[in-house]
Formats: sequence, C-alpha cells, structure tokens
Amino acid sequence: MKMKRFAVICKYEGLLFLRDFFGFFFTLVFPTLMLVIFGSIYGNAPISPETELGAMDVSVPAYAVMVIGVTGLMAFPLTLSECKEKKIYKRYDATPAGKRSIILAQILVNFVMTLIGILILLIAGRALYGVKILGSAGAVALSLFISVAALFSMGFLFTAVAPDAKIANVLCYVFYFVMLFLSGATIPDMLFSGAVRTVSKFLPMTYAVDLLQGAFAGEGLLTHRTELLVLSVLTVLFAGVGAVCYKKKDWA
Amino acid sequence: MAETVVEVEGLHLAYRNVQAVQGVTFCVEQGEILAVIGPNGSGKTSTVECVEGLRKPDSGRISVFGKDPFQHRGEVYEKMGVQLQETAYPSKIRVEELCRLFAAFYDRPADWEALLRQMDLENKRKRWVSKLSGGEKQRLSVLLSLMGRPKLMILDELTTGLDPEVRQSMWRSFEAIRDSGVSIILVSHYLDEVEALAGRILFLEDGKQQFLGSKQEFCSYAKERISEKNWDDSDSLEKLYLKLMPKQGGISMDAIG
Repeated sequence: MKMKRFAVICKYEGLLFLRDFFGFFFTLVFPTLMLVIFGSIYGNAPISPETELGAMDVSVPAYAVMVIGVTGLMAFPLTLSECKEKKIYKRYDATPAGKRSIILAQILVNFVMTLIGILILLIAGRALYGVKILGSAGAVALSLFISVAALFSMGFLFTAVAPDAKIANVLCYVFYFVMLFLSGATIPDMLFSGAVRTVSKFLPMTYAVDLLQGAFAGEGLLTHRTELLVLSVLTVLFAGVGAVCYKKKDWA
Repeated sequence: MAETVVEVEGLHLAYRNVQAVQGVTFCVEQGEILAVIGPNGSGKTSTVECVEGLRKPDSGRISVFGKDPFQHRGEVYEKMGVQLQETAYPSKIRVEELCRLFAAFYDRPADWEALLRQMDLENKRKRWVSKLSGGEKQRLSVLLSLMGRPKLMILDELTTGLDPEVRQSMWRSFEAIRDSGVSIILVSHYLDEVEALAGRILFLEDGKQQFLGSKQEFCSYAKERISEKNWDDSDSLEKLYLKLMPKQGGISMDAIG
C-alpha cells in the first residue's frame, strides 16, 4: 500500500471522526467528565488500610475500557455499517485505493482516538487526583491491546451478522449500554448482586475491565490469564466469524 | 488500427434466481463511445459493474487494458474512471476535501482545482458534500471520475439530474474527451444523449444482448422490429426506440379522481 496515500486517507478519516459529535464527545470528553464528577465525590484516598489504591486508581482503568467500548462498539462499527449501506465503500472500490485501505484507516483512526481518549483520562487523573499506575508499561500496553482487539472484533461481528445498518446499530447500542453498566466499567462490580455478577461473567467487557484494573494495579499478567485467554479467544472468534459473514455480503 | 480497451465475452451474472446478464459480448476501442441502452432492469448497470470489477461474473471473460478488472482492480483503476449510477460520500466532508482525498488515490491526479472551475463548483468548494443539490452532486461525481486522467470512462447515467444547458455543455466536454483518445462506456436512458455522443450502441433487454452496432444499424434494426405502418424515415433514434419498447403503464385518472 502506498504510504502517502494511506496517510491522506487517515487524515480525512480522522477529520470525519472528530466532526462526529458522538464519537468525539464520548471518546475524548465524557470519560474525563466521569472522572471529574466521581473523583470530586469519592476522592482518591486509599480504599482500605491493606491497599494504597484509591477509588480513582481503580476507576481510571474501568473508564479506559469505557473509551474502548465507545470506539470499538459504537464509532467504528457504526461507520462501517453506514459506509457499506450508503455504498460509500463501493465508490472507494471504484478507485485504485479500494475499500480495504479505507477500512484499515478507519480501524487505525479509531484505535488512535482510543489511545488519545485514554491518555487524556490518565493525564487528568494524574493531575487532579494523583492516579497511580503500579503495573509495568508492557503489561498495561498488552492489556489495552487485547481489550481493544476483543471489543473492536465484537463491533465488527455485529455489523457482519446484521442484515442492514439499522439492525447493526441496535445490536451495538444494546450491547454497549448493557456492558457499560454490567461490566464494572461505570458501576464497581463489588456493588453487584449475585445474579448481576453471573450475567456480567458473560460479557467480554467485564474481562477487559478486570484485566486492565489488574494491569494498572501491578498484579502480574499471569494472575489474569483467564481474562487474557477469554479476550484472545473472543477476538479470534468474533473476527473470524465476522470475516466469513462479510465474504458472503454484496458490497456492490 | 485502434487498440481494444475493453473485451467482454459471454458474460453471465445472476442474483439468486434472477438472470441479470445472459451472454453479453462486446468490445470497446480506443477513442470510442459505446452507449449501453435498454429499459429498467435490462442488465445495463450489472453489465458495467462487471466491467468495473465491482461484481464478479458467474461466467464469461472480461478484459480491461488486458487485465481482469475483478482480480487487478487497483491497477485497472489507475487508467479507468467511473461515475456510478448510485453513490454517496461521507456526509461531513467538504467538496475540496473530497477532491484532495480522491486526488491522493492516483499516481498522476488531474488538476482538480481547474476541474472545479470547469464544472462550475468553484464557489461550492467549502460546502459540505451532503448539502449540494442533486445536479451539483452529479457534477462532482463526474469531476471525481476524471481525477485519475482516465483512458477509459464508464458513466452510468451521466446527465441524470442536470439541467438542459449543463447537459449540453457536458456532451461537448465528453466529445472533446473522446477526441483526445479516451474510450467511454455510456449507460443512458436519454436517446438524444446517445444520438449526440455514441459511435455504437449495445441494446439489452431482460439481460440479453439484442443488438450491437452503429446508430444507423440500430435504426434499421428498430424498423425491422416495428411494424411498417408505425415508423417513417424522419423518425429520430429516440422515436424509434420508444416505438420499439412496449408501452409502460401510466397513472389513470380513475385511480386518483
């Protein structure tokens, strides 16, 4: 692929992302807003004498998963299904660039925006509440990458199995909001009843929250091998089934 | 002898159980305009979408600049520009941004600033593409089809939505483009457009190729199919075509009165 061409495509896909209020606000602004609101209520003093972690130290990785959820389950799949339904990809296919380079640019832009959203969250957390990352950079990066891969593949799968953009939107919205409240991303899972906790075990975002909270807290990745395994298997499964479904679709 | 740019042989395409294209065979020479005509649902767009490499035919052979357009789409599109019958662009992109984006797709892009002026879109360059009128969008689509300095153009309903003056100026532009050696496949419902621009005609009906030849030969073909009482020598191509086609149902006043 010609790198200069790809850079221009990424530039315009980035512009399109920032011009969409939903993606811009919920990826780059809303998580930090949550941090400020809940930080001003709970502060970041150690939760118990046994730990040096405060409420915001635990909440920041959970909010980071919320950012991944916005891009992976809303912004990216909704763009994908809209471009396919409106035949925008078909127009790109009628150029030397083709739809693949556009889709690749859309994935990259959403990934970069996810990282920027998380970075803003971390900087604000550090500046306002002294949020600490006790884990190694490598463990945090790996956990982030696997969580991104799993949730982006899930969004991709929804657009692949849905017959049209409307159904894809419904699937994305329903799963995003259910997972947002039942995975521990916004409401701490220690507050869940037994039944809700059982439901949350079936949601991929729960594993991403547990993994990132562990990585931020400096717990070894081996302690979280279940989460790593579940997210990796789901990534392969979602992406594989999605790709097979897309092969059968009519793009023209 | 002119170089053959497009070769299509025994093209077949079906959607589920519907045979959309059945055994279509034609070629396009360098510097020629071939018009593809036929009623709605006759397989015109399906045929050209196979030539564009956007649909994989069930059987048959297609060669564009000596290459299979489905297998070598990227290479073929360096020399081919298309204007699709039905298309859309991202809603939150401005006219000039879309031009810059499309210019980046090609190794040797056209001077799109000059094209914007020629297409009378210069004062719309900052406008959102989604806010353009139908005619402006159509002109932008034509502009984008020219972006790669194509040697072959496929124009599916070129002047739909354009006012008469713009149609006339568009015809003059495409005559000049043809004269510069560019080959054009023109899908059209407007027989005056076909009469003004095309060298040869491919006529499709129910996915089947009914006729391929010059405009004069098409007139003779049409007259053969129409009973003798119904045509006279002064009939234009459009008149003959309309006489050839079965009458379509209209709206009866009984239904709405």
